[in-house]
Amino acid sequence: MDIFTLAIWVGTLIFLGISITKDKVKTKQALKMALGMGKGMVVSILSIIFAIGLILTLIPPTEVATFLGTQSVLLATIGGALLGTVTLVPAFIAFPLVGTLIHAGVSVVPSVAFLTTLTMVGVVTFPLEKKAFGIKFTAIRNGLSFLFAIAIALVMGVVI
Amino acid sequence: MTMIRRLKENLFLVSVALVYIIMFIATPVTGMESVKNSGYYIKEMLMIMPVIFILTALLDIWIPKEKIMQYLGKDAKSKGVVLSFVVGTISAGPVYAAFPMCIMLRKKGASIRNIVIILSSWAVIKVPMLINEAKFLGPKFMAIRWILTIISIIIFSWIADKMIIDKDLPGEVLTQAGFHINRDACMGCTLCVKNYSELFEIKNKKAYIKSYKELDMSRLESAIKSCPVKAISYNENKEM
Repeated sequence: MDIFTLAIWVGTLIFLGISITKDKVKTKQALKMALGMGKGMVVSILSIIFAIGLILTLIPPTEVATFLGTQSVLLATIGGALLGTVTLVPAFIAFPLVGTLIHAGVSVVPSVAFLTTLTMVGVVTFPLEKKAFGIKFTAIRNGLSFLFAIAIALVMGVVI
Repeated sequence: MTMIRRLKENLFLVSVALVYIIMFIATPVTGMESVKNSGYYIKEMLMIMPVIFILTALLDIWIPKEKIMQYLGKDAKSKGVVLSFVVGTISAGPVYAAFPMCIMLRKKGASIRNIVIILSSWAVIKVPMLINEAKFLGPKFMAIRWILTIISIIIFSWIADKMIIDKDLPGEVLTQAGFHINRDACMGCTLCVKNYSELFEIKNKKAYIKSYKELDMSRLESAIKSCPVKAISYNENKEM
């Protein structure tokens, strides 16, 4: 557990303690609400998780690296951005992987396009986001994120 | 009919399950590997989701709507933008952990722009991630990408805010006349029935309003407040 997760746990437990001393009934209602939220989301979250597992197996990160390293810059950038959109590689795998790529001389632009869409745009979380905020909101947020991820990659290519 | 509707509602789940089934029949080894790959994410979820749900519910109960509107609403301006970045950055967990929190903030009056900022920065800007990036790609690389990301989020949240109106979000169509239950959000948890069984009922795992003669406002209010997905709304001015 990283320090931020831990901090949230500690903070929330303190908050919960204060809440109990102030108003037991309200706190009980809050806990019931939390349980309700959990029940409502568990199926969606599990389908996201198993979809990620599936994608990781079908498109392994090492294959992505090979792709980014062997294609022309233009194709690799578009491909990298798209691959980053559909996959969700954990950061502790993605950073060292892209690090090796760049040290091996692969262009910065496709690598950054991949890194940025990886976290910013989510195809697997799309259904859940749609359920929470509606299709228009979700499509616009993810669409703009994708475009700006490519813009970030292009600027990085010039600056670095 | 209901069967087809339920399939459609869970299209994503159904397709994921289908691919797994096909894979387990065709190549059981890859199937097993996919399940194993999911293991890390299940652990990640179990570590963060319970606390996120509890924190969201506690904030929901203790922070009044006015405060959220003041700090994250439309009129919060740059103060709201900065605060949204802070919330997104100090958070932990994957982006879906941001959804319950953002739904709650949204219902309490946070602006669309700030919701976009919280969601996006929650997904992208994480301190442990930044440290990792600096380690493998160098501090300069990390710093430049971080600055560009923040600038991008500031710009596209502004664009999104111009393109999306409140009515586009589920739960906003509702406050027209009397009652409304957002059935897309409702998940049939029965909390409203427990709070006010004379008024609410559950059919097909969704909440419905029974016909009523008079309303007990305090019980109605506690039912509305207790709804974990904020699917119930009531407008006093108009009758059904």
